[in-house]
Amino acid sequence: MAVESNVVDAAGPYDRAKALSAFKLGDLTFYWITRLSAISVLLILGGIIISLIVGAFPAMKEYGLSFLWTQRWAPSADPPVLGALGPMYGTLVTSFIAMLIAIPVGLGIAIFLTELCPQWLRRPIGMAVELLAGIPSIIYGMWGFFVLGPFLANTFQPFMIKIFDGVPVLGAIFAGPPSYLSLFNAALILAIMVLPFITSISVDVFKTVPPVLKEAAYGVGCTTWEVVRSVVIPYTRVGIIGGVMLALGRALGETMAVTFIIGNSFRISSSIFAPGTTISAAIASEFAESDGLHQSGLILLGLLLFVLTFFVLAAARLMLLRLEQKAGK
Amino acid sequence: MTDLSVSVSSNGHLASQPLPEAPAKVTVRNLNFYYGEHHALKNINLTLGTNRVTAFIGPSGCGKSTLLRIFNRMYDLYPGQRATGQLMLDQTNILDPKLDLNLLRARVGMVFQKPTPFPMTIYENIAFGIRLYEKISKSEMDDRVEKALRGGALWNEVKDKLNASGLSLSGGQQQRLCIARTVAVRPEVILFDEPCSALDPISTAKVEELIQELSENYTIAIVTHNMQQAARVSDKTAFMYLGELIEFDDTSKIFTSPTDRRTQDYITGRFG
Repeated sequence: MAVESNVVDAAGPYDRAKALSAFKLGDLTFYWITRLSAISVLLILGGIIISLIVGAFPAMKEYGLSFLWTQRWAPSADPPVLGALGPMYGTLVTSFIAMLIAIPVGLGIAIFLTELCPQWLRRPIGMAVELLAGIPSIIYGMWGFFVLGPFLANTFQPFMIKIFDGVPVLGAIFAGPPSYLSLFNAALILAIMVLPFITSISVDVFKTVPPVLKEAAYGVGCTTWEVVRSVVIPYTRVGIIGGVMLALGRALGETMAVTFIIGNSFRISSSIFAPGTTISAAIASEFAESDGLHQSGLILLGLLLFVLTFFVLAAARLMLLRLEQKAGK
Repeated sequence: MTDLSVSVSSNGHLASQPLPEAPAKVTVRNLNFYYGEHHALKNINLTLGTNRVTAFIGPSGCGKSTLLRIFNRMYDLYPGQRATGQLMLDQTNILDPKLDLNLLRARVGMVFQKPTPFPMTIYENIAFGIRLYEKISKSEMDDRVEKALRGGALWNEVKDKLNASGLSLSGGQQQRLCIARTVAVRPEVILFDEPCSALDPISTAKVEELIQELSENYTIAIVTHNMQQAARVSDKTAFMYLGELIEFDDTSKIFTSPTDRRTQDYITGRFG
């Protein structure tokens, strides 16, 4: 006891305060470094928005809101006539079809991998899906152009026309002259490109379902399908929707592959086998040769894509919220 | 030891005469079980009497939960696990590879160590299991759900919030919800795998009381680490050790005058 108090008297209070103040400085530095990192995100985001708005301002002033519902895109006319309807339509339709295909297939692969797949097949399929994510988008574009496009135009479209000819709405969707470059071609390529996102995220979240919960469901007599539908998917829906949103974000913004195979036509056609364009494809193919109002119009398109993506993600959040309310959380 | 016998005799079963032998519901003959190479259960022979409670006790890793998971073929979910021997539920061979597992699990329900409410509302947690087997109207379903929740001694606590998530209940309530869910499917046998190990004493008492009531209509097997619990709720007790069934007899006999030395040591707390 005596020894201890001696030590404290000799070196204790003063040194300890000093040592602590050194920590304080370290803490303060750490606090500011992390804080600046976080703020930099806001600065970068704000900077991008501001520069987009500044760049798009001339076009906004010239066309106003009518930019949104004008279909004509004639940059070489005098004065140029620019409207975003075609690219917006193309972006939404290709992403919609892509998700329509990729969500069930992606979830299907994930369910098979986690619930049904024999052990020895698990790694090969899992790796194949990851490799799919590693293929550069231009390769997808080339494959879509040289392989998928001809197949769709020569085989698939005539087949669909034969089936749906004369059917009111579906007939129009599949009608039209065969073209290697089409909205549907782009949508299929997009579906393949976003598939790995949906699958790998779903596999990860499916693995978080406690085995005992699944056993309990099997224990009341569920089949694998019932366990997946009523327990695994509801339990993981937040994660699944997160994966789907990531995939949708990618589909909305994907540029290179789509530019290659979509045909760059600003005209809206009822047929999904007709050429079209998307916002990012329009920007990529015209930006290099643009100037003045044309360039400003393209920047405005970019701003639109930004806003569109924001709204889609916001809608997804809202859907999630309502799902949770419905589940009684 | 004295403590044990006092708490035992004050509580119904042991004080009274042992119940008469009940007809066998589940018959186990020369049952062996393997996790891959590991021989987990060795030559088990016993019967579960109809509408009786059979408790399985023994130190961790002795194979009691393993045995329970054979009764509803839960081990089938995992590759590399297999059972040999004979296991009959009435006239049905449980180990028959061609057996319809969903039907078996409807007849043999299971309640787990941790509460496992499904990620849905309280109402749906019950209705879900019923819907797997029966197509009934909304009003009939309401009746069945209420009956099941009453059967799980939970109705009074949840009747005003049937649309709340099953996950919003307390641990003890969740466990009773799981029991109600199991009962709702109208099984013949209910397996309890340490149903109270995650519960506080009050919830434990409620669940034990419930098990007693359920034994009027169901054949019950319960695995427990709590010997007082085994003494309180069961008619027969099986003591297992290192994958073997050491002793299987009336609960009163096991807890007052066990024949095997190891049983004696275990229930008096000398090992385990």
